[in-house]
Amino acid sequence: MIKKIKASTSEKILLVFLIILAFFSLTSFIIIKNKCIFVKNYNPDEIKFSTPKNIAVLNVPCGNVIIELYPKVSKNAVERFKMLIRNSAYNDIAFHRVIEDKLVQAGDLEFGEKNNLDYGKIGTGKSGYGTINSELDGDFKFTKGSVGLARTFKNNTEDSQFFIILQDEPLFEGEYTPVGKVLYGLKVLKKIKHQSNSEYILKPDFINTFGMYK
Amino acid sequence: MYINQMRIYIVILLLLFSAASSKANTIYNLIKIPNLEIYEINTKNKVKYFYALKSFRLGVKKNIKCFNSDIENLNLKYKVISRNLNQYSSGFLKKINLKYVVLCQNLSISGINTAAIPDNIMKTLILDVNFNKKYFERVIHHEIFHIINDSFKEIFDEKKWSNLNEKKFRYAECSTCTDRWDLSIYNKTEGFLTEYSKTTPSEDMAEIFSFLMYNKNMIDEKIIYDVVLKKKISLLKSNILKIDSNFKFYDKKN
Repeated sequence: MIKKIKASTSEKILLVFLIILAFFSLTSFIIIKNKCIFVKNYNPDEIKFSTPKNIAVLNVPCGNVIIELYPKVSKNAVERFKMLIRNSAYNDIAFHRVIEDKLVQAGDLEFGEKNNLDYGKIGTGKSGYGTINSELDGDFKFTKGSVGLARTFKNNTEDSQFFIILQDEPLFEGEYTPVGKVLYGLKVLKKIKHQSNSEYILKPDFINTFGMYK
Repeated sequence: MYINQMRIYIVILLLLFSAASSKANTIYNLIKIPNLEIYEINTKNKVKYFYALKSFRLGVKKNIKCFNSDIENLNLKYKVISRNLNQYSSGFLKKINLKYVVLCQNLSISGINTAAIPDNIMKTLILDVNFNKKYFERVIHHEIFHIINDSFKEIFDEKKWSNLNEKKFRYAECSTCTDRWDLSIYNKTEGFLTEYSKTTPSEDMAEIFSFLMYNKNMIDEKIIYDVVLKKKISLLKSNILKIDSNFKFYDKKN
């Protein structure tokens, strides 16, 4: 006959403690693993837009970023941007330059593609459509969430690369061509992979899709 | 073998990526000068003023040096600098490619002290706030002219300018390969306002321009008896007006 041994009080306390510890460890592991867990994913179909034709939806690892484009501020730049978005040119393109809480940059169509990533050249690629002139005279404030076209040191070299700022950048005014502003989903962008010691990212996050809403 | 090569390649890439610091701030990204902070960016003519928080070195050989200045000195000099730069409209500054002014002290190139370093490509003027108190204000306009000249080289024909001088006269090879440094105005001008005007055509133009912007009355008196100077002023003014027909040769003294 097997004698049943009763657990002592201290053993019971230890067991409960171990169970609680295991529970917290598991939960924190899930939370740490899933960087998107507390980020709201906006559904554009549930939002009413005053200018739906100028709404673009950028889908990234943590959800949607809803952007309003401003053709009245930068006519040619927005035209170029819309054309690339409609052609699905930005799908699977890397966020190759990310500065934590400051800026995310993507749109290198030549060297930033998921299956053809070139770390040596990323950031220098072209779209194949040629450069366009800078549009710097529009009345636009580069506040948090502003979207602009990137360029080289020289003006009039804008092509397909764009950036979104995660903090106000008044010095960008008159320097970069604005194309729009994030209406919803700025927190989604803060979760884009960054590195603390470099602006350029190894194994970067990618744009899933980037499309016009209408 | 191939795997080892790949590993080395990845390590090199990692090192390269780590080298590009993400701490670089917006000012550095814009004008490639480190250790700067915003002094004033909300100005009427859209000039953005930065100041050196710490000393900085520039250039391929790091031969350009400038140091930080104390805040009281900066506040004092900023008033003078902005008062003079406010003479230029935002439209004109945009045309000549000047947007950023960096304030620092003891500016030097390869050990030679200099008042300023104009860079129209980076849209920047680095100014030594402690340069020559006597001529400080006029020197600001002198340096502005260098930006104008660099942005519109085709307008300021140095050969045409040199031909206005007496046939015997020759400029030096460069502004630093002579000892003609004096910035004080000649009593008897004879085609040149200062000794420094005699260094190069571009410095000659810059000196005249600076007087036109700082103390026009003084040269108005001089040109009555100086035909060469009169022709130079006329040519310079017409060239500036080609860039901006609304340009005003503002005289601070008036």
